[in-house]
Order: sequence, then C-alpha cells, then structure tokens
Amino acid sequence: MDAPVVDVRALRKVYRVTERETGLAATFRSLVRRRYRDVLAVDGITFKIDPGEVVGFLGPNGAGKTTTLKMLSGLLYPTGGEATVLGHVPWRRDGSFLRGMTLLMGNRSQLVWDIPAADSFLVLKEIYAVPESQYRRTHDELVELLELQPLLHKPVRGLSLGERMKVEFAAGLLHSPRVAFLDEPTLGLDVSMQGRIRRFVGDYNRRSGATILLTSHYMDDVVALCRRVIVIHHGVLLYDGALADLAERMAPYKRIGVTLRGAPRDLSAFGEVVSSDENRATIHVPRAQAAERTARLVRELGDQIADISVEDPPIEEVIDRVFASERPLAEVTV
Amino acid sequence: MIRIYRQLLVAQVQAAAQYRIQAVLWMLFSIIRPVIFLAAWTAVATAQGGSVGGYSASDFAAYYIALTIVGHLTTAWNSFEFEFEIRQGRLSPKLLRPLHPLHYSVVENLVWKVTTFLPLMLVCFVIALTFQVTWNVEWWHLALFVPSIILAAALSFMIGWVVATATFWLQRINTVNTLLQRTSFIFAGQIAPISLMPTALQVISYSLPFAYILAVPAEILRGGVTLERGLLYLVGQAVWLGLSLITFRLAWRAGLREFSAVGA
Repeated sequence: MDAPVVDVRALRKVYRVTERETGLAATFRSLVRRRYRDVLAVDGITFKIDPGEVVGFLGPNGAGKTTTLKMLSGLLYPTGGEATVLGHVPWRRDGSFLRGMTLLMGNRSQLVWDIPAADSFLVLKEIYAVPESQYRRTHDELVELLELQPLLHKPVRGLSLGERMKVEFAAGLLHSPRVAFLDEPTLGLDVSMQGRIRRFVGDYNRRSGATILLTSHYMDDVVALCRRVIVIHHGVLLYDGALADLAERMAPYKRIGVTLRGAPRDLSAFGEVVSSDENRATIHVPRAQAAERTARLVRELGDQIADISVEDPPIEEVIDRVFASERPLAEVTV
Repeated sequence: MIRIYRQLLVAQVQAAAQYRIQAVLWMLFSIIRPVIFLAAWTAVATAQGGSVGGYSASDFAAYYIALTIVGHLTTAWNSFEFEFEIRQGRLSPKLLRPLHPLHYSVVENLVWKVTTFLPLMLVCFVIALTFQVTWNVEWWHLALFVPSIILAAALSFMIGWVVATATFWLQRINTVNTLLQRTSFIFAGQIAPISLMPTALQVISYSLPFAYILAVPAEILRGGVTLERGLLYLVGQAVWLGLSLITFRLAWRAGLREFSAVGA
C-alpha cells in the first residue's frame, strides 16, 4: 500500500480577531484598549488521503474547509497538530512541495490580467522548471480537454468568468501537480460550464492519477466526482467515508414519490407524507420497509397509481442532516 | 533563475506597454518636487550674491538634477503594492509558487525604470540647459556612482519590503509609509543638500538609511565628494543594505506565521 498523499493529524487553527461593539464611543474605547477573541476555525481534525483518490470536503460556510485547504497548501501555519502532503510539512513551503501541488480557488485569479494567458503559461513553465517536452505535452492536453485554443491569446481581463476559470485550471495544472486542492472550482459558473469543469476534473484524475481534495457547495460536483467525502462543521470532523454510505447512515428513510389518477387521497397510512401537491405526493418510509410499503401501495391503490418511484433522499438533504447533528457521525443516533 | 527572470521581464514589458501614458505621468510627477526645490535654491543663491554655503546656483541645479535621476532609479513602491496585494488576496497565489514574491516586484520595478528612463533624461537635459548647469565630475565619480546607485536602489527596495512585512501584523501600513516618506523628505537631502543642514541634522541624516538612498548617490553623481568620502559612503550603503536584508528575512519568516490569507 502506498503512503498517503495527505496525512492530517489533530490539525487545529485558531484565528485571533479584534472585537468591538458598534458606535463611536466603542471605537474610541478600542483605540485605548483593544479586545481580542479567539475563533476556533479547525478543531483537531484527522484524516488521510491515498494516492489517486478524489475526496469531497464538505461543510457549510465557516465550517473550516478553506482554512484546512490553506494549511495543507502551505498558506497558513496551524495552531496545533501535524500534517504532511507528499511527505512534506506544507507550511515549510519547500520548493519540491510547491512544485508537486496546486490550490485552485474558484474566486481568485493567479494569472496576470493584462497579458494573454499563453504568456502567463510561459512564466509558470519557467517558475516551475517544467522541461520543454513535458510542458508541451501537458499544455496541449489541457488545451484540448478544456477547449482553450480560442482563449489563449486574449488578455485575461477580457475573458468571461467561465473562460477565465478554464484558463485558471490550466495555469494551476501546467506543472502536473500530484495533488490538487480545489476550493469551489465551479463557483458562479452556469450549469453548462459547471458540467464541463466537472468532467475535466474527473478526466484529469483518471489521466494523471493526481490526488484531489475538492470543496463545493454544488452537490452535483461531489456526486459526479467523489466516492469518498469528509464532512466538517464548526471545525470538527463529522464524517469520513463513502458518499454512498452517508445517505444510508444519515437518512434512515427512503422517499416514495406517487402520482395518482383522479382525486388526491390520504396516504399517511403508508408513511410520513412530507409533501402533497394535488395528485402528487412524497412519502418517507423507513429504509428497511421501503420494499414492503411500496408493494402495499401498489396492491391497495392498484390502477389509481399513474406513476411511482422509490429513491434515496437527495444528497443535499442528507448533508443538511449531518450539519444539523453537529456531532461526529459515530455518535449520531438516527 | 535567469530563465525565470527573462520570462517575467517579457510578461512585465507586455503588461507595462498597455499603461504607457500612466508610466510617463508617474515619471513626470516624480520630478516635480526636486524641480521646485531646484528653482527655490537657485533663486536664494542668486539673491545672496551667487552662492549659499559653498553651493552656487549651478551646483544646486546639478545636485537637484542628480537627485531627480537618483530618485527615479531608486524609487520603490513595493510596500504600497504589498498591502494592496494582501487585502485583495493576490499574495496567496504567489506564495503557492516556488518563487519568492520579491522577484515579481524586482522585475516590475526594473521594467518601469528602464522604460521611463529615456523620457526622464530628456526632461533632465532640458532642465540642465535652462539652469545652465556645469558638472565638475572626475572619472572616479562615475566609477563610484555605478555601485552606489545599485546599492541605493537595492536598499530602497529592501526597506520597502521590510515595511511591507509590517502588513502581516498591522493590516494597513499607509501611515507607516507616510511616516517614512516624511522622514526621508527631511533626512535624505530632498529639502536641501545635507551639508547645508545644521550639524545635528547631518549626524542624524548619515545615521539613518535615507541619505544613502538619495543624497549620497546624488552627491557622487554631481561630483560633490572626495574619493575617500565616496568610498566611506559606499560602506555605509552596504551596511544598511545588509541590515535591511537580515531584517527582511527575519520579518518575512515571522510574518508568514501571522498571515491569515484573508480573502484568498
């Protein structure tokens, strides 16, 4: 078994922030005596990621995801705990570590705005000391995968958000990093561009074998790319495991969607009716009894049923339940 | 590193080419102050029968033209830029790369100076003709000027970076920059050549780094120093540069621990 690419042990980050009340008097008081407050952003999280894995890193705003990514990419010093990425302590920022990883942020630009992306790429080639043949190969591959050709020679400031994100991706991956931290890579993009970026990340992982840790508020990104997810909330790790298991553990129910012919009727005898709209109803039933309840519905309602479906609850709903629990999943009773 | 610099230079020249007018305006703006002092001091010298403290009107003109050229070649705006970069979250992408952020500003600084040097020299030539400047320069003044201006530019740049690192703790360093500019205004020989100032101010001036950035190379360029004094000035410049490099190294390391990568 290969050594983990990312190895995080009891990682902790506390920010010290100044605090004052509103108003002019408070402003003057703060000039004389400043008040500080410690904000615990990451509270002793531990996990490992193996080579080639694509892991979704989930949590609501302020959960500590970006802080963790910044520590793992060497931008922030932790307050406590340890971490290695590619065998390096990230915040020492060794050249060989920086050459082996990338951090891509959906809302930040790393390209020079006033010049075409193609020229920024050449600068990056030299900074990362990418050999000519490897550069040419990676460049051409990225241009093809991301359909960049028409964009390469326009100044970056003239590109649309979606176009710029594609170019940013290429810039971040030109040095063929072995680990990529992606922070909201599809933020603000339209549905079609989100899909393209998503496909690209999947393709890139398959072609290069790079390890990817991805945060996203779009669950479609996570479902499409990640078999494993890590969920944190208030800096605490709540879940680390297969995405498929998450629904089973966090949502002990299935949802049956029934469309009836004719007049609506009371379906509460079959389960918890969570929505009812004219002749369409959604019922939650205990996971273990889903087959039996569905069969009963079909048996009792017969040809009054126009359509019926049985499915897991949407992943957003499952994740919401994890966040709402605010406790590590091992302790959660469902 | 040469390959990196070559590529960074190409990129920076391309970026700078899009803001040519702004670059020339900045250059013109930077010469307004020395020209005002030049006009004032030559008027005083003429009114006092030709000289003030051994400086003739032509000496003043030579000094302030030299000061304009030196000011141009040693200017550094990296501390202003650094604060902006941190606040805008632009420092983080640079920190993620295996190249110290300092190198980007070296290139930016060099490109601006090189691209605006020719128009500056034209303006200085016109001023020299207007004030009928005579230069009393020996060959060794020019030989001293080359290392002196390099040391002065490096010192100015490194002091800029030392101040820039204060952003890690203070978030806003505009006031620190203003304080330094005001101090430099008094002690770097901008109001008057340092030798015309009271002795106490001269001692303070040569104990601070600012004179080694402006007055020292300017005096060397106009031929206003002896060889021995010129060499002593070079040592002073080297000492201040060494101190600023050490301070920067320590402050940078400590500052990165404080860095909270806000907005990035």
